[in-house]
Amino acid sequence: MKLKITYPPVEKRKLQRRHFLRIIRWPVLFAVVMSPVVNYIIGGKAWSLIVLMSIYMAWSLVLSPDLVEYNRISQTIKLISFSCSLLAMIDFFLSPGWAIDVVPIVCFGGLVITGVLFFTDLDRQKQNMLPMLFLIVIAILGSIVGVSIWREKSGWPLIIMGATAGLLLLACIITLRGEFLRELKKRFHVK
Amino acid sequence: MDYALDSKLARFARRIKQAKKKKRLAPPSPFKQYKEGLPDDKAEQLREFFADFSAHCLIAKKEKRKLRADFERAILHYENAGVSLEKALDLLAVKNLGSFYARPPVLWFPLDDAAKIYPLSMEHGIMSIFRLSVYLKQPVVPELLQIALNFTIKRFPSFATTLKKGFFWHYLDTTKRRFTVEQEKRVPCESLKVALSGSQSFRVIYYENRISVEFFHVLTDGFGGNAFLMALTSEYLRLIGVEIPPDAKIWDVNAVPVAEEVENTFAKVPRSGSASGFMDKLAVQMNGKLSENKPSRIIHFKMNVSELKAAAKKHQASVTVYLLALMFLAGRAATDELHGEASIQVPVNMRKFYPSKTVRNFSMYCGIRLPIEETTDVQSIIAKIDEQLKKKTSKESMDAMLMATVRLVKILRYIPLILKQRVAKAVYGFLGDKIFSNTLSNLGVIEVPQAMAEHIESMDVVLSPPLTNRATCSVVTMNDIATFTITKSTLDPTFEEVMYDLLLADNISMTVEGSDFYEA
Repeated sequence: MKLKITYPPVEKRKLQRRHFLRIIRWPVLFAVVMSPVVNYIIGGKAWSLIVLMSIYMAWSLVLSPDLVEYNRISQTIKLISFSCSLLAMIDFFLSPGWAIDVVPIVCFGGLVITGVLFFTDLDRQKQNMLPMLFLIVIAILGSIVGVSIWREKSGWPLIIMGATAGLLLLACIITLRGEFLRELKKRFHVK
Repeated sequence: MDYALDSKLARFARRIKQAKKKKRLAPPSPFKQYKEGLPDDKAEQLREFFADFSAHCLIAKKEKRKLRADFERAILHYENAGVSLEKALDLLAVKNLGSFYARPPVLWFPLDDAAKIYPLSMEHGIMSIFRLSVYLKQPVVPELLQIALNFTIKRFPSFATTLKKGFFWHYLDTTKRRFTVEQEKRVPCESLKVALSGSQSFRVIYYENRISVEFFHVLTDGFGGNAFLMALTSEYLRLIGVEIPPDAKIWDVNAVPVAEEVENTFAKVPRSGSASGFMDKLAVQMNGKLSENKPSRIIHFKMNVSELKAAAKKHQASVTVYLLALMFLAGRAATDELHGEASIQVPVNMRKFYPSKTVRNFSMYCGIRLPIEETTDVQSIIAKIDEQLKKKTSKESMDAMLMATVRLVKILRYIPLILKQRVAKAVYGFLGDKIFSNTLSNLGVIEVPQAMAEHIESMDVVLSPPLTNRATCSVVTMNDIATFTITKSTLDPTFEEVMYDLLLADNISMTVEGSDFYEA
């Protein structure tokens, strides 16, 4: 069977992500299994949970990023959400007492960055609004719940976080008007 | 410290100055040179043309610049080809852009019921893509192909979209950008990058005399893909000066799109009783080692359609049944298994049961199964295949599968996407394509107007390589040439060699074309 070549030679492919993931999966799995085992054997605080969360964070953000909607807003929010969760875990499992102030401050920073990213490229970024809305809703809920639980402590970071989220939501609604509802309709359709 | 900062700033300022100087001294662009050499009346014509362009193009500046550059390159091409400026501007008339680039994007499309699985099951480097190609009698002019795409895209609003994530389902959101034509440099059906803002879910590529379009299945099926490719080719031929009279077979790129062309027809089919058809037993696979890079090779058998029909007639079968029989035999030769059932997936165009104009997905499939012990020669299996094909592609069977799809979508609709995604990945990863050994997608005979057919040699379809099947096949006929294509995922050449010998044994002469091995 003689075959006439009618396709161009392709450039030698770089290591594909799929192959890279196949290779990297084993050391990652090893770390996932070994860190709780070592933690259990040597005892002490549950630092292995922090390790597991960090591995998941690295896997999700760097090694195997999103296949749909990989944009500056979604990635920033993913990074902020992971960071806040990690900080809360460090506080809870390793050294308690500071996350109630630090997490809202990080979240506030995240809201500001996201707002800047959103409003500086509105035409394009309005298509990427959903992750930002999630962060806003979580920040507002977190603020309300936090303030009502830790009323005695100084709750200013929580209040600022909630207020910033509320302002950002308001700014979105005022700027986008009808488009805001259309975006919501798209994002929550069940057809 | 201050000194170091000063010196850094000075270096930065110097670099900017140098860059500006370089830009000032750079030779003018070929188009600028061309424009400067024009007499006043022609320069005025050109100025009016681009003023009209600006009125039709109200998209982001960067995209607008790219579109304008496309027109400049096309005008230069015409100039070099000896076409007068009047004629060139007439062919490139900006009104062909329509109002697509003059309005902000408002349309969005929920995925059709068949498309919903594709974004849920995709992984890095694994994506359901198919490719349609036409082979022209002349080499492709990329400048004009780009303009043809710029003019065609408005007719297919569901293609001018980006895949987005909703809370419950993915959807397609309109994106107004310059859609790109690329020279072929990649492996056929390579995964598309659909994640970035405004990414396109199809690619238009050219190589020598071939125009190809690769579609992510989330957009369309073979019918819709073919409508797009034919409209694009027709527009391209118009731009190179071929006069093609209006014909119902080819979509008019300047017609206004209507809702029926982008509808999810699954939702319109009347609900009937039973629902079944997804699950099946695992099928016997060919034994060649799966290649690291998929596909490992593309092979086209280009056959005379009369000879192919005669061979099928000799066995008292249709062309599809005949090709299926040969595929079972070739598959049998390519496996070491002694027991089990081989199964070939056959996609079925549902438009034959429910006439629809939609370019979205509206296809189902069935599996033709045979025990490999019984797969000995063409004559002994052809009647069984024919019987199964008739039964399994009947309206009743297809309705049952369609109902199963519609009901599944309905059941899952209120489950958040994040959960659906995990379940779909697990199920797809477990079963994948293991219930089939191979696929045969027959697009049938593609008819085009005579004026267009004179400029086209043939056509082919390439399916993306599956996860575990070692080969997947397709066939399409145009201009009396039936092209049978094999997408290989193994270096083991048994399947194609046996197919070739079987076709040759039935006196079908053919030319074999394709790619080199993508994996040495």
